[in-house]
Amino acid sequence: MSEVSMTETPNLRKVDLTTLNLQQLTVLRQQLDQELGIFQDSLQTLKIAQSKFQESGSCLEKITPSMEGNGNEILVPLTGSMYVVGKLVDTNNVLIDIGTGYYAQKKVPDAKDYFDRRVAYVTEQMEKIQQLGLEKSKVRDATMDVIEMKLQNQMPKDDAERL
Amino acid sequence: MTEEIQKNLKTEIDKYKQVQKDYHKALNQRRQLDGQLNENIAVKKELDLLKSEDDVFKLIGPVLIKQDVEEAKQNVAKRMEYITSELKRVDELITTLDKKQDTHCETLEKYQQMFQQAQMKASLSQPKA
Repeated sequence: MSEVSMTETPNLRKVDLTTLNLQQLTVLRQQLDQELGIFQDSLQTLKIAQSKFQESGSCLEKITPSMEGNGNEILVPLTGSMYVVGKLVDTNNVLIDIGTGYYAQKKVPDAKDYFDRRVAYVTEQMEKIQQLGLEKSKVRDATMDVIEMKLQNQMPKDDAERL
Repeated sequence: MTEEIQKNLKTEIDKYKQVQKDYHKALNQRRQLDGQLNENIAVKKELDLLKSEDDVFKLIGPVLIKQDVEEAKQNVAKRMEYITSELKRVDELITTLDKKQDTHCETLEKYQQMFQQAQMKASLSQPKA
């Protein structure tokens, strides 16, 4: 993907766009549309990931002030619609999935740091993609302009032929 | 004459399609490897950030098994090594397939021209007969 955009962008300057014929321009536009679609999908996925990490982080806040004693009671779901009362034995540590099947036991504040880090990372990636998407849509707009121009140049010719 | 060219053209198109298929397969593989590498990098970073009192577990099937942090680090490093070598291999495959695609494209064009010329000749010679 990145390779494609690297080799293409230099050729996509306006000077080159006008030298392409209509068919090539439409193919180019389709390609750009497709790539923009991929960017949109990635953004959507990242947004979901971001909200999941944020949710996990805010769940931790519920655990932190869990004083020893009555504060550590929870309801454990046995099925989707049935719960039993349980008690948290350990309110200081949590297990988090760090990927590829590895789980790390961390202290609650450390775990909070982990989720903050993840959210920051995902946000950074989203910004990068947004930037790329912006550039791509600029190129797309330029291509559309040239297509329209070419179409308009063609119109009078057609009219003349018909007359 | 035309039939022969048509046959050649057809086999060439089939070959071209096959190459295209392989190319897309390689691209998908590359993307998957890229994702795996990124995930492993993230895991390695996390493992490096762990404090001495933190434990690491590995999910094997449905059970979590406690693992030595050093061992986990080594495992991840080994896996990253493997993935990078695979990535290199797939990259090479992609470049060769790319070249193959280009050559097939060229021969296809040649055959197409030959086919057109043959057709023209055929249509020219017909009225005379």
